Parts: sequence; C-alpha cells; structure tokens
Amino acid sequence: MEIEIISFGKIAEFMANRRLTVDGIETTAQLKDLLEKEFPALADIKYKLAVNKTIIQETAELKSGDIVAFMPPFSGG
Amino acid sequence: MASERYHRQLILEGFGASAQSKLTAAKVLVIGAGGLGCPALQYLAAAGVGLIGIADDDTVALSNLHRQILYTTNDIGRLKAKVAALRLHAMNPEIEFVVHVLRIETNNVLEILKDYDFVLDGSDNFESRYLINDACALLKKPLIFAAVADYEGQLAIFNATDEKGETTNYRDLFPIAPKPGEIANCADNGVIGVLPGIMGTMAASETIKLITGIGRPLINKLLHYNILSNEQYELAIIAGNDYQLPQNEADLMAFKYNHISLTEPMVIEIDATTLKDLQQKTSTLLIDVREIHEVPALDQAIYRQVPMSSFNDFLSTDVEAQNIVLICQHGIRSVAAAEALSEKYGNTKNIYSLKGGIVKWRNYFIN
Repeated sequence: MEIEIISFGKIAEFMANRRLTVDGIETTAQLKDLLEKEFPALADIKYKLAVNKTIIQETAELKSGDIVAFMPPFSGG
Repeated sequence: MASERYHRQLILEGFGASAQSKLTAAKVLVIGAGGLGCPALQYLAAAGVGLIGIADDDTVALSNLHRQILYTTNDIGRLKAKVAALRLHAMNPEIEFVVHVLRIETNNVLEILKDYDFVLDGSDNFESRYLINDACALLKKPLIFAAVADYEGQLAIFNATDEKGETTNYRDLFPIAPKPGEIANCADNGVIGVLPGIMGTMAASETIKLITGIGRPLINKLLHYNILSNEQYELAIIAGNDYQLPQNEADLMAFKYNHISLTEPMVIEIDATTLKDLQQKTSTLLIDVREIHEVPALDQAIYRQVPMSSFNDFLSTDVEAQNIVLICQHGIRSVAAAEALSEKYGNTKNIYSLKGGIVKWRNYFIN
C-alpha cells in the first residue's frame, strides 16, 4: 500500500514529504508508530493528523493512495 | 463624505451599501498589535469597521519595526495600543477605537470580549491563544485565528457556524498546549516581516467576509500557507472530544493557562507494560477520566471512574494511593488530569498518564 506523507512546520524539518510503500499498516495509529520509530522527534511534538485533507479525531483506517498530513500548532504573531 | 471614502468597495459587485452598513455596525477586537495585528488593524480600519478594540500591553521595540508596520523609529518605548489607535484614527477618523492597554488574562478576558462581536487573535504565545479560544467558546464569539512559525502561517475561523450548523474551536485541532520549548515563537526563531503581514491581512479579509457574509470564510477550516513555496494547504476541521472547555466564568478563572511550569516534576507518560507493573503494586489508583457513556467500558472494580466533567470535585478530595495512573480514550485528557493532580500533590505522589490511551492499548483492556 502506498501512502503520501505531508508534513508542516517543525515536523517538516526532520520528516520531509514522501511517498511510503508500507505493508502491514492498516490504520493511522500504526502509521504513527512506524514513523515515530523512524523519527523519534515526532513522538515529542504535538500535531494533528489529517487524512485526505480532513483532520481525524479517532484512529482511521488507511487505504492505498491516502494522503496523510502532519500539522503542528503555531503560536507566533 | 463617508460614501466617498468607501466608494471603491461600495461599487463592487456583491458588496455595496448593505455590506458597508454591516461593517459600520460591527465591533471587532484585535488582540495583539504586533506583526499580525498591525496589518489586520490597518485594513479593518480602512474598510470602515465601526468599532475596533486594540488590546496590547507591550511597547514598541526596534526589533519590532521590520514587521510591525504601524510604528516608526520615533515610537520606540511607546505603548503599541496607543500608537496604533493614533495612526489608525488619522487614517480613518470616522470610526471608533477602544484602547485596552493590558495583557489578556483569565481575570479580564470575559469582561473585555463581551462588548465585541468578533475577535481577531494576533497574539504571540500559546497561553494567550488557548485562553482567547476558551473565552470565545464560552461567550460564543466568532474567533479569527492567525499564527506564524518560521516561513509558514496558519489561518482559521472558530466558533462560527458553518452551512451544516457546526462549530469548532482551537482545541478540536490541538486539545492541549505544547510544552515550553516544544514549539518555538518568533522571538526565539525569527520571522520574516512580510509573513505576518500576509497572514494578518488574510485574517482581516476573513473578518470582513464573516461580517458582510460575502464569499466562503474559513469556518471550520485550517489554511496553511508557506511563504517560500507560495503553497496553500487547507484542512477541514471536525469536532473532537479530547478536551474540556471551561463551562462558566468560575471554571475559566480556575483554569491554569500557564500551568506548564518549567520546573519538574512533569507528568510521566507510560505504556501498557509499565501500567501492568504499577497495577501489581499495592498503593496504585487507576482512574478512567472518560465520560460515563464512552466505550469500551472498563471494569469499575479496577478502574475508578472520575469523568473530566466532574474532575474538579475529585481534586478537592484527598487520595491516599502513592501512585496514580490516569487513563482516557487517546491519552490526551489523561495528561490534563494528571497535570492537575501533579499540581496538587507535587513531588509527594507519582502521577502517570497512559500514553495513547485505551485505543492504543485496546488488547490490554479488552482481554
């Protein structure tokens, strides 16, 4: 299954946008676990996940071709 | 006179006199007269918003001038809110300004916000942003949110009803504030002046759309903008339930917006293996902070139910257990609950939150 990862803000500094071919990943929770292992800094930062441009409030099922965005909060003004 | 001032927008197809009279009747509070606030204030004043509040307790500094374009070098050391009102009055003397020389805090936010129809948050820190969000949610005031970080900006409208009748707030995006240092601000990281210029102008544009009812305002949407690539990315926001908003003034006053102290101890987030170890110990209390209707239901003989909605009552009682583990659906509310307990007990007890919550460790709880 192929998933497109898009990251913003501080997250983009260590996890560049990419297409991932992942096997055995069925949910956003599993994807988070996988990426937090590869990028430990991700586990230390608050962010919201969006699947295909809609944020998710619960773990969501993933299907091939989904675009998953990682959005951290900004506070500057 | 007035009609000549606004002539170019009055003749605009789809705008006209009715939109202009809505602007004249509108009362908008701009919080923060800085990088976002300056351009937002200029365009709101120029467009003819009838009453504009300016809330800021800061004075002009030389390092502000590359992005806070209402001020001159001669203004250094003067109060931003007062200088801004002076400049804006010169630009448009036909509208009214109210200057609030203060920092928005729990003890003044509701009193100040209640006199306005719309709030534009151009503040520069998470403490203010969460407070402004919660106060707007409590008072049901539409909130226009703009923020920047490095070369990127965010823009959204909260507490306004979309075409489906739904409203969202900032906590639907980010239920709890980041820890200090987790996300840098402009003072730490730097900012290119034109970025808050763009985001502040877009915030003014959204405010004008919201007031006049033209176009498609960013209600329940988060727009991300990257100044380096000129790319925009828009996310739809849906309501979540991983947080508790203050329900009344007393609640809001009791809320600790600057609760994240720089001194340890902080809440310790644990996994299910550590939870299992703790469960073996005699002096461990396990607390499920979810509301009673949430599923899966846990064995109440093992997990004491203390829903977040009544957590304040629980805080006023004393717990004997030495170890307290807070549990919720996703491990977000449990952090807030654990922080409240750790403030009460300090170093005298070990307070834990189950990271990822019941959803992450489903098999542990269901078997």
